[in-house]
Amino acid sequence: MRAPSIHRWLAALAALLLVSATTLPTEALAQQPRRGGELTFVVSAEPPSYDGHRETSFAHIHPVAPHYSTLLRIDVANNYKIVGDLAESWTISPDGKTYTFKLHDGVKFHNGDTLTSADVKASLERIVNPPPGVVSARKASYQAIDRIEAPDPLTVVVRLKWPEASMLANLASPWNYIYNAKKLAEDPRFPEKNILGTGPFVFVEHVPGSHWVAKRNPNYFVKGLPYLDGYRAVFIRSASAAVAAVRSGQAQIEFRGFSPAQRDDLVRALGDKIRVQESPWTCVLTVVFNNEKPPFNDARVRRALSMAIDRWQGSQVLSKIAIVKEVGGVLRPGSEYAASESELVEYPGYGKDIEKARAEARRLLKEAGQENLKFVFKNRDTQMPYEPVGIFLIDQWRRIGVTAEHRPSETATWQGDLRNGNYEVSMDYACDFMDEPDLQLFKYLSADKSPANYGRYKDPVLDDLYVKQARATNEAERRKIVRQFEKRVLEQAYQVPTIWWQRIVPHWDKVKGWEVSASHYLNQDLRDVWLSE
Amino acid sequence: MHRYIIRRLLLMIPTLFGVAVLIFLLMRVVPGDIVALRYTADGGSVSAETLAAERARLGLDKSIPAQFVDWMGGLLTGDLGQSMWTGRPISYEIGIRFQVSLQVAIMATIFAILLSIPLGTLAALKQDTWVDYAIRIFSIAGLATPSFWLGIIMILGLLIVFRWLPPMATVSFFRDPWTNLSQLIWPALAVGYRYSAVATRMTRATVLEVLREDYVRTARAKGLWERVIVVRHAMRNALLPVVTIIGLEFAFLIGGLVVTEQVFNLNGIGRLMVESIIRRDYTMTQALVLLTAAVFIVVNFAVDLLYAWLDPRIRYR
Amino acid sequence: MAVAADTGVAVLDERGRASRALRAVLRFCRTKPLGAAGGALILAMVVAALLAPWIAPYDPLETDYAAMLAAPSADHWLGTDAFGRDVLSRIVYGARTALLVGFGASVIGTTVGSVVGVASTYFGGKIDLLVQRLMDVILSFPIIVLAMAVVAVLGTGATNVILAIAIPMIPRAARVIRSSALAIREMPYVDAARACGFGPTRIIFRHMLPNVVAPILILLTAFLGQAILLEASLSFLGLGVAEPTPAWGLMLKGAAVEFAERAPWMGVFPGLAISAAVFGFNLLGDSLRDVLDPRLRLQ
Repeated sequence: MRAPSIHRWLAALAALLLVSATTLPTEALAQQPRRGGELTFVVSAEPPSYDGHRETSFAHIHPVAPHYSTLLRIDVANNYKIVGDLAESWTISPDGKTYTFKLHDGVKFHNGDTLTSADVKASLERIVNPPPGVVSARKASYQAIDRIEAPDPLTVVVRLKWPEASMLANLASPWNYIYNAKKLAEDPRFPEKNILGTGPFVFVEHVPGSHWVAKRNPNYFVKGLPYLDGYRAVFIRSASAAVAAVRSGQAQIEFRGFSPAQRDDLVRALGDKIRVQESPWTCVLTVVFNNEKPPFNDARVRRALSMAIDRWQGSQVLSKIAIVKEVGGVLRPGSEYAASESELVEYPGYGKDIEKARAEARRLLKEAGQENLKFVFKNRDTQMPYEPVGIFLIDQWRRIGVTAEHRPSETATWQGDLRNGNYEVSMDYACDFMDEPDLQLFKYLSADKSPANYGRYKDPVLDDLYVKQARATNEAERRKIVRQFEKRVLEQAYQVPTIWWQRIVPHWDKVKGWEVSASHYLNQDLRDVWLSE
Repeated sequence: MHRYIIRRLLLMIPTLFGVAVLIFLLMRVVPGDIVALRYTADGGSVSAETLAAERARLGLDKSIPAQFVDWMGGLLTGDLGQSMWTGRPISYEIGIRFQVSLQVAIMATIFAILLSIPLGTLAALKQDTWVDYAIRIFSIAGLATPSFWLGIIMILGLLIVFRWLPPMATVSFFRDPWTNLSQLIWPALAVGYRYSAVATRMTRATVLEVLREDYVRTARAKGLWERVIVVRHAMRNALLPVVTIIGLEFAFLIGGLVVTEQVFNLNGIGRLMVESIIRRDYTMTQALVLLTAAVFIVVNFAVDLLYAWLDPRIRYR
Repeated sequence: MAVAADTGVAVLDERGRASRALRAVLRFCRTKPLGAAGGALILAMVVAALLAPWIAPYDPLETDYAAMLAAPSADHWLGTDAFGRDVLSRIVYGARTALLVGFGASVIGTTVGSVVGVASTYFGGKIDLLVQRLMDVILSFPIIVLAMAVVAVLGTGATNVILAIAIPMIPRAARVIRSSALAIREMPYVDAARACGFGPTRIIFRHMLPNVVAPILILLTAFLGQAILLEASLSFLGLGVAEPTPAWGLMLKGAAVEFAERAPWMGVFPGLAISAAVFGFNLLGDSLRDVLDPRLRLQ
């Protein structure tokens, strides 16, 4: 057969181009990811060490996560579905106790070593059962793991002691970097000061207090990724300086988010060069009562103080000046197991008739003999959103004749006071990397069951409901138990949620391929991010 | 003179030792714990045993006197130790920040000297005229404006009017002087205003004082050109207290700029100090306080020596 | 100038003293117009603080969510803040915090500093040397570290801020007063008092301190301005008094910075209040020094 002449090829190509130019919307053309460029982003704190297994701050995830791969990852763009990262596929045995993972072949560490199941095994073991001198911050979430095996170089088997619904999510935690087994064997603390991963970006430089630089990993195991040539994280503590950096174009994005006022300023100054992405955040400020200190051992007093808070007005008012927005119970509003608005308004403190609620609150206080209640309200001295929410709460309590003296202090002092029970009423918070009742309800368990509960109370009913929902076999049943749990929390009011956080990320429109999520810990490997100019 | 220098050098030791004891004790009195803060404040759930093990690794399980002895032992061998927060050597961490703070301090000092000595002298020569009043109001306004507020206004002004912002990350002067200066000139101006105000007032006061001295009056009576008198006689003596003030302010700028460093995102000593205290990073805070105290003491000493050099009449006990 | 009461010289009847004081004030205003302007600023501030409930148009704590971030208008002369609180009312009440902290800190700082300075010269020798070293330690200690430690241990609140500001003032006052007291120590009347068998407490408080009143007064006015400024900086760092207490430094923090562009009145007016107060104290202090002791050198 005669080869088609070059002219015919060209004619066909021209026709194709013409067709595509006329039929495809220009936007779709622009959406074709572009290779190259350096992304500069702001991080408002700094990673203490480089070891993700030990750290807990987003300030670690943002600059460090792109250097590493994890076994599984959570696909934010795909409704938070758990997908493979290093794992090509996996199976779970029918009894729910054996997880078998098949790894991608030919994955290379940045130093050229080939990744095998031994690396995954060593890394997971370091998280589940850390050697002396190594801290594993989330060890408690992996108590169900019995042992980890590596039967061949591309297979990892995780065996559980009992089946656990949230295990897959915990294995997909963004903190679970896979390290190099050989280096860990030489020095278990190697990752604290060194970066050696298989992720999309290779470490270049870190100047403490100033910046962090990385360049593209040309041997990344997902072909064609990442798009960026590299990134630069600049550490800027002051929020106004961070906004100024984005506004002047010195940085394109701050992944944790800005306040509503800062968002509006950026949009006003830069117009459509700025794209704003928002999402309800899996973080909430709670009011915690010291249930050992009278009168806060009296459920009537606690409930009165919870009822005095007009959450619906708070949502409206505070969403203009602080990073909070949605009214919710113990789960993030809009998440799978969260209460609907019609369910919410039935709880004490969530009704829409605030005058009625305040009258009831006054009555409860009178009944408890606490009409002129005065207390010190402790708070964290972090500006956003602790201070505005604190001012709002104090004002709400003032309206039922309760005097709360605001006492904000540095995180270390505030946290020490909470841990030692050196407070009457305090602001507290909860923040998780994903929506999962196991994670969010944990905070409300009896103080001896949950180290995150500073309310100093014990409630076997809640503990029992927690186990029941965790082991519930179907969704409807789990939902029912979660509602019972939530109702009990809000009626007893040991500690009550206020208003849920709202994540607001205004960024330069040229930053593409990044989706805001309900957690600032997720979706930070930057491998799909690209710059359109 | 030599005996004086040796005496002063020896007196530094008890002062620095006092500072060391004070900061060491203060940090232990302040509530809060670096280990709990690091592993639980952001939502970690770490067991009490792990926390205890981590405290032991940092040496926090030892008795307080033992911790002090450890620290002093390290200092005597020239080892500042490691930051409890980052695990990196303290000398490395401080080194990065010190260059920035030092440069801002030097630039602010140059600015203050250039502004204050002519203005202060002019105000004194034209005492109680509108020139004097204008200069005094300008300098008192400098004292009355919080530097951080001035900084915020400067940044907003630059952003809104010129749509430009000084670079946010510091580059070494020797690598890229232009970028370096375009970042650091602004904080230097913001703190330099207050600095120059202090120095202007001191210059005015001392020049006035010197002008009333007998020998200046005599010189004037002899019909010498007034300018010459002022420059030759008055200025030299008037400079002495001004030098003191400039020295004290300079020492203050190393480690004293906390809010301004935040506003301009400077990677300086002051910010590191506040962050270290917030983190309860004992070793780092101790080293920084000792460093700033040492700078203060040494600068004071240098000022006194300069005094002697500028004015040979001064004798030392 | 101040004469020790024991010598029994200046005994005047009340009316004479009052008219003499008035005449002195008038003379001061005539010869030192800048100083008088400073005095007027301070007077306005004191009046605002004392009569706050009558002057302020609103309760400084009252929130009005319908009028958040309102621009200055007939209802709210200086606008409202992020919670709809009246800025003018908060500034008027804020004068109380500023004066309380300013006076509290500088009175404690100068008094303790003066006593330390005079006592240390009186005793001299080893005690003097020791006290001076102690003062050097505090002097070379970064102010911010002291303030953070005080607040971390004792918590936020006006009393603790006063303490945090007063402590670093002590060595500065002690230094200045010590140099003034050195001359007095050699005065014949101190020797005489010692010969009479008076104890050190009596000599220090009744014979030496009254003779350094002039530098103490000058120090006090200088410190007042500095204390107000320091309080503002500490509040800005979250180390001052806490919301919702009306305080100028606090009003510059947080939302004022965030809304600096959209609602500049939130930060501009409290900033002006701080500057005016510090300005006033400095003007007055300068002129007071000219009148009382022109040779005294202060920062």
